[in-house]
Amino acid sequence: MRRTWLRSVAMGGIVLAALVVVSALALSVPAPAQAPTRFVFANESNYDTMDPHAAFDVGRVAVRLNLYDGLYRWLDNPPALQPWLAESHTVSPDGLTYTFKLRRGVKFHDGSEVTAEDVRYSMERILALKKGAASLFATMVAPASTKALDRHTVQFTLSKPVAIFLAVVPEVHVVNSALLKKHEKDSDWGAAWLTSNEAGSGSYMLTRYDPAIGFIAKRFPGHFMPWGAKYIDEIEFRMVKEDNTRVLGMIKGDYQGTGGYLPNDQVKRLREAPNVKLIEQESMRIMMFQINNQRPPMNDVHVRRAISYAFDYDGFNKEILGGSVERNPVPIPNNLWGIPKDVKGYTYDIEKAKAELAKAKLKVDRPLTVGYLTGFSQTEQAATVMANGLRKAGIESKLTSELWPTMVERMKKPETSPDMVVYWISTYYADPNNWIGEMFHSGQWGTFKASSFYKNVKVDDLLDLALKSTDRKVREKAYQDAARIVVDEAAGVWIYNTKYFGPWAKSLEGIRFSPIGNGQEMRWVYYAQ
Amino acid sequence: MRLVALVLRRAAWFLPTVLGLLAITFVVSRIIPADPVALVAGDTATPAQVEALRRQLGYDRPLPVQFVTYVWRLLRGDMGTSLFTTRPIVDDLASRLPATIELTLVAMAVSIVIGIPLGVVAAIWRNSLLDHLLRVVTVSGLAIASFWLGIMLQLLFAMRLGWTPLNARFQGFPPPGMTGLYLVDAVLAWDWWAFAVALRHLALPAATLAVPALATLVRFTRAGVLDVMQSNYVLHERAMGLPSSVIVWKLILRNALTSTITQIGLLFGILLAGAVVTETVFDWPGIGAYAVNAIIRSDYNAVMGFTVWAGVIFMVVNLLVDVAQGFIDPRERAS
Repeated sequence: MRRTWLRSVAMGGIVLAALVVVSALALSVPAPAQAPTRFVFANESNYDTMDPHAAFDVGRVAVRLNLYDGLYRWLDNPPALQPWLAESHTVSPDGLTYTFKLRRGVKFHDGSEVTAEDVRYSMERILALKKGAASLFATMVAPASTKALDRHTVQFTLSKPVAIFLAVVPEVHVVNSALLKKHEKDSDWGAAWLTSNEAGSGSYMLTRYDPAIGFIAKRFPGHFMPWGAKYIDEIEFRMVKEDNTRVLGMIKGDYQGTGGYLPNDQVKRLREAPNVKLIEQESMRIMMFQINNQRPPMNDVHVRRAISYAFDYDGFNKEILGGSVERNPVPIPNNLWGIPKDVKGYTYDIEKAKAELAKAKLKVDRPLTVGYLTGFSQTEQAATVMANGLRKAGIESKLTSELWPTMVERMKKPETSPDMVVYWISTYYADPNNWIGEMFHSGQWGTFKASSFYKNVKVDDLLDLALKSTDRKVREKAYQDAARIVVDEAAGVWIYNTKYFGPWAKSLEGIRFSPIGNGQEMRWVYYAQ
Repeated sequence: MRLVALVLRRAAWFLPTVLGLLAITFVVSRIIPADPVALVAGDTATPAQVEALRRQLGYDRPLPVQFVTYVWRLLRGDMGTSLFTTRPIVDDLASRLPATIELTLVAMAVSIVIGIPLGVVAAIWRNSLLDHLLRVVTVSGLAIASFWLGIMLQLLFAMRLGWTPLNARFQGFPPPGMTGLYLVDAVLAWDWWAFAVALRHLALPAATLAVPALATLVRFTRAGVLDVMQSNYVLHERAMGLPSSVIVWKLILRNALTSTITQIGLLFGILLAGAVVTETVFDWPGIGAYAVNAIIRSDYNAVMGFTVWAGVIFMVVNLLVDVAQGFIDPRERAS
């Protein structure tokens, strides 16, 4: 028996040792040659499509920024709009016609020239697919209204004057129309092909793609923007789901960059890593509670003000989040134009909360539902802080959580939306309309941003004026006036503006952070040594 | 003949079972209050824009029509396309299956090669120190949460010791291969560097999966061997002077493996359907992670496609287990 046992153990040991020896020997074989400089970014989201017109989210922005170009581009912080494929543009006096002059000699990755026809095709494609940024453009641009006036001049005719058109025009990522027409199948605008390929002119060209892993791209030497003396030859963006794994990978050196909105405890770990540097910038991503303004008793302004006084802003921002965020008391980011600087917002004051409740015509005679997002622990923390404050003010509450897709569905209607929900509003484009316009105009009901179901005719008029006018001073005043009313009426509870703590390899230089793009455009980045 | 009859009987139940599974999944996925069309249309889409996209995608048709259309296409091998990737579901599943198959095979091989002998030894040396130690280890193996185990293995072997990679299936992207099974492709290409890299990347996720599987097999093998050891024919053969090694490994083990084989089959089925937690911790590009993503986003066709895959796998594995039982135990064949 003992011999049997020993024989079995010996056989198992021999097999294991053989595997170890083979591995060790095999690893002494030189690895295949790699590009001179490589950069690997660990991303939280899947890159499940390479189609720049099928996604409009921050999670997959690396595809759009590195493989494609637009007419203009948002750069730096505070974000500034820079001419990119377009050299210049003009706007007609009635604000309906935008004409862009393209740079000459810009090439797609296959060597063909970028022309006005490609821009026209790209806009038509976005509208036809109805995905990504289509929802924004569909309200401004009708199908077949975009024209290529000549080889290098493209004209957009808007259905109504919309001041944000220029702010969102960077989302028209220009695709190679000839290449896509060649791969079109069943009138799909080449969608089936482009989901796994690319048709761009951007700084990098796609070389490998696997939807389960990510993508690799190599530098496009022929890009119209001159390259600096140093650059990165090959970039890899791969999906790494867990925060912990991304952080460990940065510390280990497997990754040279990752997303900058990590939990506070993970940021602390990265600060202590000798090979990692943190780039700290105020971003544009507001955390807030949307209050259901249509449902009693929240349709009473005094109840909403009581709720606003019941949240411990400093306790949450400074104690729980360790001061890693900036208090943002209005529904426009602190660092964007259009905020009324005289508005200080609400503070944590239980006595004032009780006083407001005493003035309310409607009594709070049931627990209020406070919704947060499953899988986002910070929203659960915020909901708990809110529940705690409400209890002190004499209001009971019930916490409820859903996955984001389910919560979005619930927030479509006032009847199904919780009494209040906490989440973030990110930067889709750097204009106050992205926040206050899309949150508090009554015409936006049914979208997740407008789940406050707020209605005030004066605010609607101000927001309409701001959207129509192309005069920045007129727009700024309109947004400021609208923000004052919305804050006074406590339509929501605005907690903080996010800070970006971007972890990057210490040896990297040239990173240009912008709240749109989150620093994931790699064309200026290089290794210092 | 009896085996043929078994296979035919199972085959006859195959289609109704899959249809029933599909019907339940179809209804449940539609009841969940999440609108994938709204997600695809984008956060800024208005209700009217979402409805326009819904009509374009055909999701405005009555549910029975959608179901019948889906089943009709499925019978012709078309699982539809993903709402989010616009890729055929068949392609999505096919690209991820090799990762799951490879991980499952390696994890099961490790757990079988180590677990069964340990179970035999624990039974033969019942109530010894080794037996007690194995019982503690196996209970712990079953109780430990796999995500915790995975993270601990990462911290120890990848971060502290540097012996293994932290995650992923390969360093960067793998060289092109025929089968999608990286170890096999590396051998076929005589690429020993790729073989070693793939093996190192397999180590931690396979270990994470193997620990609870191994614990199950040790316990079932031990129980089976203990049960058979007391049989009259075993006592008879001992009395006749047959060598111990022959008694244990030829007589006892063969008769004790019935329940162990069943467990192996079940474990295979569970792992092939996707080890979600392990795949998430290690960013293993397999079926499990794909399924979770599909469920969270209510990607209808992907959810249905995964359900078909999981259902087929369980039925095939159960059939193979029954066939294997028949080979091992002649009484099963006779019945």
